[in-house]
Amino acid sequence: MKRCLIYFITILFVSSIFLAGCSSSSSDSEKKVNKVELTIYSWRPEDKAAYEKFIDEFEKENRGVEVKFKPFKSTEYGTILTNALSSGKGPDIIQLRPYQGATTIADSGYLLPLDNVKGLTDIPKEYLDAAKGSDGKVYGVPLTLNSAVIFYNTQLFKENGLEPPKTWDQLLQVSKEFQSKDIVPIAQSGKASYLLSLTHSVIGATTYDGNQFVEEFLTGEVNLHDPRFVESIKRMKELEPFFPKDFVAIEDKDAQALFYTGKAAMYINGDYRLESFEQNNPDLPIDVLPSVANTEGGDTPSVTWVDGSYGVVKASKHQKEALKFIEFLASKKFGQMFSDELNRMSAIPGVTPKHLLVKKLTEMSEKSNTPYFMLVHLGDGSPTTKTTFENALQGMYIDKLTADDVIEETQKSLDKWFKKQ
Amino acid sequence: MNEQKKDVKYMPAIRKARYPRKHLVHLFLMPALFFYIVFQIYPILSAFLNSFFSFKGMHKDSFIGLENFVRLFTESPFKETFNNAFWHNIIFFIGTVLTKLIVAFILALIINSKIKGKEFFKTVLFVPKLLSVIVVGFLFSLILNPTYGALNTFLKIIGLESLAQPWLGDPDTALYTIILVNSWYGLGFAILIFLAGLQAIPEDIFEAAKMDGAKGLTMILKITIPMIMPAIMIETILTFIGSFETFELIFAMQGSSGGPYYSTDVLATYFYRLAFGTVDGGEAIGLGSALAVVLFLIIAAATAIILFFFKKREFEQ
Repeated sequence: MKRCLIYFITILFVSSIFLAGCSSSSSDSEKKVNKVELTIYSWRPEDKAAYEKFIDEFEKENRGVEVKFKPFKSTEYGTILTNALSSGKGPDIIQLRPYQGATTIADSGYLLPLDNVKGLTDIPKEYLDAAKGSDGKVYGVPLTLNSAVIFYNTQLFKENGLEPPKTWDQLLQVSKEFQSKDIVPIAQSGKASYLLSLTHSVIGATTYDGNQFVEEFLTGEVNLHDPRFVESIKRMKELEPFFPKDFVAIEDKDAQALFYTGKAAMYINGDYRLESFEQNNPDLPIDVLPSVANTEGGDTPSVTWVDGSYGVVKASKHQKEALKFIEFLASKKFGQMFSDELNRMSAIPGVTPKHLLVKKLTEMSEKSNTPYFMLVHLGDGSPTTKTTFENALQGMYIDKLTADDVIEETQKSLDKWFKKQ
Repeated sequence: MNEQKKDVKYMPAIRKARYPRKHLVHLFLMPALFFYIVFQIYPILSAFLNSFFSFKGMHKDSFIGLENFVRLFTESPFKETFNNAFWHNIIFFIGTVLTKLIVAFILALIINSKIKGKEFFKTVLFVPKLLSVIVVGFLFSLILNPTYGALNTFLKIIGLESLAQPWLGDPDTALYTIILVNSWYGLGFAILIFLAGLQAIPEDIFEAAKMDGAKGLTMILKITIPMIMPAIMIETILTFIGSFETFELIFAMQGSSGGPYYSTDVLATYFYRLAFGTVDGGEAIGLGSALAVVLFLIIAAATAIILFFFKKREFEQ
């Protein structure tokens, strides 16, 4: 009898806690009955302040909709997103990784097609390709364009009487000059191997004739054993003496620091590093080069790709409002705000960047561009061919692989999934 | 006799009085049991289940039996990566257990002897364990940085510049460097376990051995070590489990690919890449689960073998 009484009291106690919890939440929800709350997941915590401004602007025009921007650490974003989507209790809007990253999520049936969203049709087709499913539908509104560039310190070049390199030979020549003066020619980190493929995209842009090679590759006319691609790997090896000592052991932030403290003359990475240079050393006199030509006067295409887009989660309870926000993201107004606040190139046509360097990047990209080959076309496979390539490059720099081994390993990974178009 | 009768007489009453209390204890265990089931049992079971399925992105696709396991051990590059990571786990275990057992044992012996400031040394040596592994990893990444790291700077100052290395950037030194950091981190705990073992040895055994003429090393080999065999067993098993589960330190110091060029890759970093690292373009949740199951089985089987080996030795002694 006593036992029953104890169980009864315990159950009563536990259920009262639950009931109390439920009742308070129900009264909360009653208060918010007229307010729709949208949650956005992103991998860019550094953009939080800017997003608060964008969101304020949206909320002004859309009373009754409250938007919450929830960014996560970039390296943990994939895991968090997977869990959120598979539990079905995720956010309403999510930032999508470009190309294969977006396709995978779209193919898993987690997203709403956005083909009919106002403003989306004005965005160039090649940018929309970064957010398509295998069914050809668009599942994301591209946000920003990235360019891989050679940043250079104009003051260091001037002080040492050197001209910015226009050709491959000139790049080697100025690197030798800087090295002889104890200045690190190119601040490169090799610890995170993706940085190596980013540098390769800039070096290789002209070596393998940019778009020409890419087209032939996609139609299956050539593979990675093509002499032009082999040459691009050999050039990467040729650059090794001009990278910092033990660069495979240093982090990108250390390489950045070498550049913005004036210890290194050049730094190859995405244009998005501009923001961190300006934060760390606003007086740093920098300029950019898109790539280096094979011969004097040759083409120097800008390596450009779409960096992420925003899609609507199919399981969202507020699809209508989420689509409204997507429409806002696809508007020129947002594109301009985005470019001005974050010093980035917007994917929305007609946006004029305020920052002079971003303006230059946009012009360079409009003049001649080539895709980031590894990301745009080799992002499939498990592990992805891109990852295999990057790690193989790292292997080359620690003398575990030769340039030919890098090609061999990458082609082997590619053969598993690649189908000519 | 009378007292016994009295006890029997009151037994039902005592039992009755204690009965609800006993069940109340069970009730208090329920929350812990709930969390144990949700966070331990359920993930293990779901990993087992997922390992028999193929995945399309994050979607469970179809039942494929043991195919994930077959791919893991026969298909390139999975089998090569597995063998490489497995071998690193073995090196990690041997390196850590040897460093920890030897150094911790010697330090425990010193602390256990009648030296001054015993408590101070005990605390100092235990301090690393109070830090998070990620913090330790980050700190050592700074210390070992080839450009401005404290270690290479120190070597330069004392005139040993030739010994300065890119400790984490050279595949010949990277894994051993991490093993040393890991051993340093776990040393304090090993010392505590050995100290508990040493303090449990009755003093008269040493005195009897002394009277029989035993000295120094003989005493350690013939008395101390056999007597603290349970402590050695516990430390070995814990180190084994820790070595095969090791992830955070390598992740913090070398990233999820166990760089450079997989030279510090272990099964847990490989698992992370397989299951989550390719979310952007993979179909590897099934494969990742298969690897998790293999990892579980390796740890369970090896722990059982180590236990059996030590129990037998204990029994023989």
